[in-house]
Amino acid sequence: MSEKAFEAITGGLQTTVQDLGRPGYLSIGMPIAGAQDPFSLRIGNLLVGNEPGKSFPVIGSPGEAGLAILLLGPTLKVLCSTVVAVTGGDLSCKLNDKPFPLWTAVRVSEGDVISFGRPLAGAGAYLCVAGGIQVPPFLGSRSTFIRGSVGGIEGRALTKGDILKIGIPKLPLEESVGRTLKPNLIPQYTKKWNIRVVLGPQDYLFTEESIKLFITYEWEFSSMSDRMGCRLIGPKLNFKPRPDYLVDQAGSDPSNIVDDPAPMGGIQVPGGLEPIVLGVEGPSMGGYAKIATVITPDISRIGQMKAGDLVKFQAVTVDQAADILRKTEEILGEHSIIKMTETK
Amino acid sequence: MIYKEPVFRPAGNVYVMVEYGDELNLSLNFRVTALNKAIKKTALAGVTETEPTHRSLGIVYNPLAVSYKELVDELKHLDKQLGELKELPSRILTIPIWYNDPWSQECARAHDAPNNMEFIAELNNITVEKVIEVHSGMLHWVGTVGFTPGCYQASPINPSFVLTAPKYPRPRKWTPDRIICLAGHLTSAYPVSSPGGYQLIGRTPLDLYDPMQRASIFADSLVLTRVGDRHRYVPIKKKEYEAIRREVEEGRYEYQAEEDIFRLDSIITPGGTDRKESDVG
Repeated sequence: MSEKAFEAITGGLQTTVQDLGRPGYLSIGMPIAGAQDPFSLRIGNLLVGNEPGKSFPVIGSPGEAGLAILLLGPTLKVLCSTVVAVTGGDLSCKLNDKPFPLWTAVRVSEGDVISFGRPLAGAGAYLCVAGGIQVPPFLGSRSTFIRGSVGGIEGRALTKGDILKIGIPKLPLEESVGRTLKPNLIPQYTKKWNIRVVLGPQDYLFTEESIKLFITYEWEFSSMSDRMGCRLIGPKLNFKPRPDYLVDQAGSDPSNIVDDPAPMGGIQVPGGLEPIVLGVEGPSMGGYAKIATVITPDISRIGQMKAGDLVKFQAVTVDQAADILRKTEEILGEHSIIKMTETK
Repeated sequence: MIYKEPVFRPAGNVYVMVEYGDELNLSLNFRVTALNKAIKKTALAGVTETEPTHRSLGIVYNPLAVSYKELVDELKHLDKQLGELKELPSRILTIPIWYNDPWSQECARAHDAPNNMEFIAELNNITVEKVIEVHSGMLHWVGTVGFTPGCYQASPINPSFVLTAPKYPRPRKWTPDRIICLAGHLTSAYPVSSPGGYQLIGRTPLDLYDPMQRASIFADSLVLTRVGDRHRYVPIKKKEYEAIRREVEEGRYEYQAEEDIFRLDSIITPGGTDRKESDVG
């Protein structure tokens, strides 16, 4: 059963239906897709009483779908009484022209209007609704993969006139209203970021000076960034000399390798210029050397960066990364949610 | 280079790459396939999916279920037990191509590149007709599938003449869907419209990716080709292209896939390092 919940008055810059994506099909080149900031989507779902799901690489539990809203959000007319939480970046969300409290489950009623304005912090907001956005799942996920024209609303972004349906809420609406994330757990989005990476898999192809430069330089986040990948502006990185057969087989550029798997978060450096952090819709393989790979708990932070932000990379070991992941996952539970005593 | 022992490289916290070498070589692809089959059979704890490529196997794992070290130990153990894989089931897929088609030409022009087929012909010191004859005159081994859904990379099997081409110096912003392309010695394709840097050689009327799984060949998978297929490319012209495309769109086209076995020792030149084409442009 599903109920009409929203009508799009405007679609926004790029608003897509996303859950945590569809891992399991990388070997046919199908990207994971899903939320670029899975942390915010999972918290949003928790707040409204939805199944939050489990992030990549866990298969088969993408959680409920919400709206992933990029920089300039849509205007939505509410068509029924329900509960909504907006998490992630502060994109000046308003309910009937009054500020909409972020990271909190809020009651909305038929005739209300949810709108967005100027992006103030972060790049992406997530609108979660009790019962989840209902679109036909594709390969077990409702995530939109625009280039492949699948998932979400007919494989595309939200546009004027679209009607969004929702499923049956798991929690009674009265119980979820006022649920909010503990204030100390709310991510702070600034213009300077520290991102943790594991060096490799092709760090050995770069000169030692370039690896050092990579982790000490403050890179500028480029406007040439999307769900496929994000570019970084900074100095040229150099490669060690390579054998002739690779020139012939992999390509004449020193960054070329015989194609190997391209992980989400992998940082490839075509021509040694403008490293690209591979995104949720990135290619599943590629022929460029990857100097480092962003660890999964920090993928959400990449999803909140915008043009002009500065980013510094910190190398960690795989064991350290596992500990960081464990700690991040611990946050994503009921114990992180409190009920506000007074709500409006 | 073929490594004496496989090299294990972490890629972030949820991937380990098992590398058998750094070059294009069918024997490496056979080892990758053997390990992949063994992992699937054993159902290794914590492994969520695998990505075979020409020379390495990408393994995705859940670090909350298995540690990197435990996983690598398991993989080393599994690799040691692998027997030598001498043959594999391998379909022969027939793929018609309209070589030097108008869409490829237009795309090249839009990106200020010369006609890609004429460029390849000149670079290899042969005519465009000869490029078509060579490319369609041999079978191509699909060593890996990925990049975008249904994209693949295939290397020539026992080529009488090895075509070679450089990638675009600056990748294109877009490429029409169903374009077949060439870079290095590899043939690839753009099943969906996407950016890319390979030289455009033709367009196939066949779907390489069908998310709706309409034709029976897509019953088991959304993509036409899989690792271990061999491709036979057949040159067609405008009229035939249009006729086949119509059949594909109407769901009447019968894809031609012949079940077969491929033996590694049927390759005359198994390696890549012993080839000496030097001028890649």
